[in-house]
Amino acid sequence: MSGGTDARKIKFLITGLLVAGAMVALFAVSLNQPGAAYYISVTDFKRGQAHGDNFRINGKVQPDSIRRQPGGMDLSFTMTDGTSLLPVRYHGVVPDTFAAKADVVVEGELGADGVFAAHTLLAKCPSKYEAAAQARPPAGGG
Amino acid sequence: MIVLFGQYALLLAVLTTLWGAIAGALSGVSGSEGLLSSSRRAIAVSCALLTAVVAVLEFALLSDLFSVRYVAQNSHMTQPLQYKVSALWSGQSGSLLLWAWILSVYSAVAVAIYRRKHRALMPWVQATLSGVLLFFVYVLAMVTPPLAVGAPQADGAGMNPLLQNYWMMIHPPTLYLGYVGFAVPFAFGIAALLSRRTGEVWIRTTRRWTIFAWLCLGTGILLGSYWAYIELGWGGYWAWDPVENASFMPWLTGTAFLHSVIVQEQKRMLKVWNIVLIILTFSLAIFGTFLTRSGVLSSVHAFTGSGLGPHFGAFLALVLCGSLALLIWRLPDLRSEHRLDSLVSRESSFLLNNLVLVGIAFAVFVLTTWPIWSELATGKNVSMGQPIFNRVTIPWFLVLIFLSGIGPVIAWRRASFRSLRNSFLGPFVAAAGVAVVLLAAGVRQVYPLLFYFCSVFVLGTIAGEFWRGARARMKTAGESFAEALGRLIWFNKRRYGGYIVHLGVVLCVIGIAGSSAYKREYTFEQVHPGTKMECDSYRLTYDRHRLESLPEYSSVVMEATLEREGRRLAVLPAEKRSYQRVENPTTEVAIYSSFLPRSVRDLARVGEDVYFIPVNVDPESGLASFKIMINPFVNWLWLGGVVNILGTGLAVLPDRRERRLMALALEEKRAVA
Repeated sequence: MSGGTDARKIKFLITGLLVAGAMVALFAVSLNQPGAAYYISVTDFKRGQAHGDNFRINGKVQPDSIRRQPGGMDLSFTMTDGTSLLPVRYHGVVPDTFAAKADVVVEGELGADGVFAAHTLLAKCPSKYEAAAQARPPAGGG
Repeated sequence: MIVLFGQYALLLAVLTTLWGAIAGALSGVSGSEGLLSSSRRAIAVSCALLTAVVAVLEFALLSDLFSVRYVAQNSHMTQPLQYKVSALWSGQSGSLLLWAWILSVYSAVAVAIYRRKHRALMPWVQATLSGVLLFFVYVLAMVTPPLAVGAPQADGAGMNPLLQNYWMMIHPPTLYLGYVGFAVPFAFGIAALLSRRTGEVWIRTTRRWTIFAWLCLGTGILLGSYWAYIELGWGGYWAWDPVENASFMPWLTGTAFLHSVIVQEQKRMLKVWNIVLIILTFSLAIFGTFLTRSGVLSSVHAFTGSGLGPHFGAFLALVLCGSLALLIWRLPDLRSEHRLDSLVSRESSFLLNNLVLVGIAFAVFVLTTWPIWSELATGKNVSMGQPIFNRVTIPWFLVLIFLSGIGPVIAWRRASFRSLRNSFLGPFVAAAGVAVVLLAAGVRQVYPLLFYFCSVFVLGTIAGEFWRGARARMKTAGESFAEALGRLIWFNKRRYGGYIVHLGVVLCVIGIAGSSAYKREYTFEQVHPGTKMECDSYRLTYDRHRLESLPEYSSVVMEATLEREGRRLAVLPAEKRSYQRVENPTTEVAIYSSFLPRSVRDLARVGEDVYFIPVNVDPESGLASFKIMINPFVNWLWLGGVVNILGTGLAVLPDRRERRLMALALEEKRAVA
């Protein structure tokens, strides 16, 4: 009787572990796949400077750095995390939330001319993260 | 003057809420009837006081009292009336006030309904609800006072124009109704542990609260995606943004809870698991509020710098650790009265569903909070991008959809091969047939094929359930098919409401899979008015541009005529608006949705959108760049959402059968005690 219960328990335990194991495995594999790039700050990007490859970088838009082509799709601006600066050029749809001081994420590669060529531009929703905007300490404070 | 009244009301609410918690707990320990009703009155008074605070802030917004800092930050003189009203929840302290107010209303309603019931549970329910409310009232009174007065100003800064959208008006309150709604089942779960009444009574009592909270949360998420789709102008509805994930995680664990309570009701198993799930769900609801309001993800430093972060962190730790410690202390009371027999049974399929839902929630949690852990560990703030979320979760969503076809139909305990064949062979053959047709039609991608296979399979099992149930009634009661179907649903609202929800989920899946896999994009750069733009089988002619000027904003409207196969469908007006107070222009996309097919080939276009984005325009010459997206099946998602709401609405209605079972559970408790 108790032997039967144990066998049953083990059966369920193994099934459960298999499912959980599959989830963890998938997670680990996805983390290591190229292109699943997570994003890094401007300073961290500059520190490990490399050309080519796909990078995702987040930072803020430097005020007065935005240049748009009238009626076209070209945009250039400078991105900063408070410490380092990175000039960016982009061609495509610019989200409405993109503005001076907005939190943005760019994805692309560093060109030979030192300008980051972004193929993707994301901007964070301005209404949220309110405390962050108000309470961000001076750069380099930590 | 009136502002001062509001400030005092808030301070007073701290005291009454504190008393509500203390009196409730004391009554739980001593059994005193007097303390219990005193706590009840305190809860009612807190609710009245918070209502007054909300009224004062709303009054300040409507009457442009810019001396109140919150009003100056979130409203201005000429802001349209509806956005003055919704400014109440567009800023931080206003939305926390809304949270607290909703909780106080829920608490007051709950104690009023259960005034004469659940004598053993109520003291602890009231203590828990008041304890949670106390935190929010304290934060409102001490950390982010909504009625703080600043220097008098002539005009306010106004609300972000992106938030000035009808859907965005109702999205936050709906979401909060959901977040906060989980407080009631949570309080009952804690009360069940403290009073050692861990049977099904607390679960049956809170069933409709849970479903209501889940409905509001789901609806809120959907409204948010719909808003993103029609307002943000990038043609998508979900981006795995932390704000979205924050609401999605409690929805996932809440979904797990809704399913696993069925197992406890029917089989008296999973008692510990259910408590864990409701603790998790409620903690994630608080965590969601915390994530969006504390700024912890931008930087850990922002978290410690802002006033709100540490308070929320401490409260969250208290809720989570306190509840789990209590759970461990009461473990001996939570033995299962049955055990799992077979892997092929309803219990097992529900367990697997729970495992997958919690697993997805956990994966989303780790990926969303990655910046925190990476900054703590390496000093680098590293965030996770969208593709990895998709890669990690999509296979498990597939498993979930498949299970939603199996779980409600398969037998409890141990399913025989014969019963499996009866229930599942038909749907399986139908699904395989559809997959073959899709393959023949040229569909080659694996995920869409699998998702459509599962969708048809689930639709088949649901149809089978309706058909078998109705036919049985037709035979025994001699009813017509329509009559039998109607009564079948009406007298089993929970079960058939659940099927309708599953149907809605399948429609959503069809929409999501189709619009993600088959969306097409076309870009047209620097085109002059008069240009014809061909995309897919559509043709858009950029007819003209005109300038408009309104008090709130000025805009450039670009009109384009949409045709397909020579037939004129619509004129699409897309807009670039410049609001007075905002430096960057906002985009108003134009959307054309197809619904009725005109031929068999058109079937794949049912629910398809033509999504017309003005990227940039030169107001003088009208020279413009456009992006046009064809989003197939996307309207199935919104339709599925509506079906979901209807099904959940049905399941939440009072039901004779559920009431009888509740009475039975109460009887049994008395007999045992």
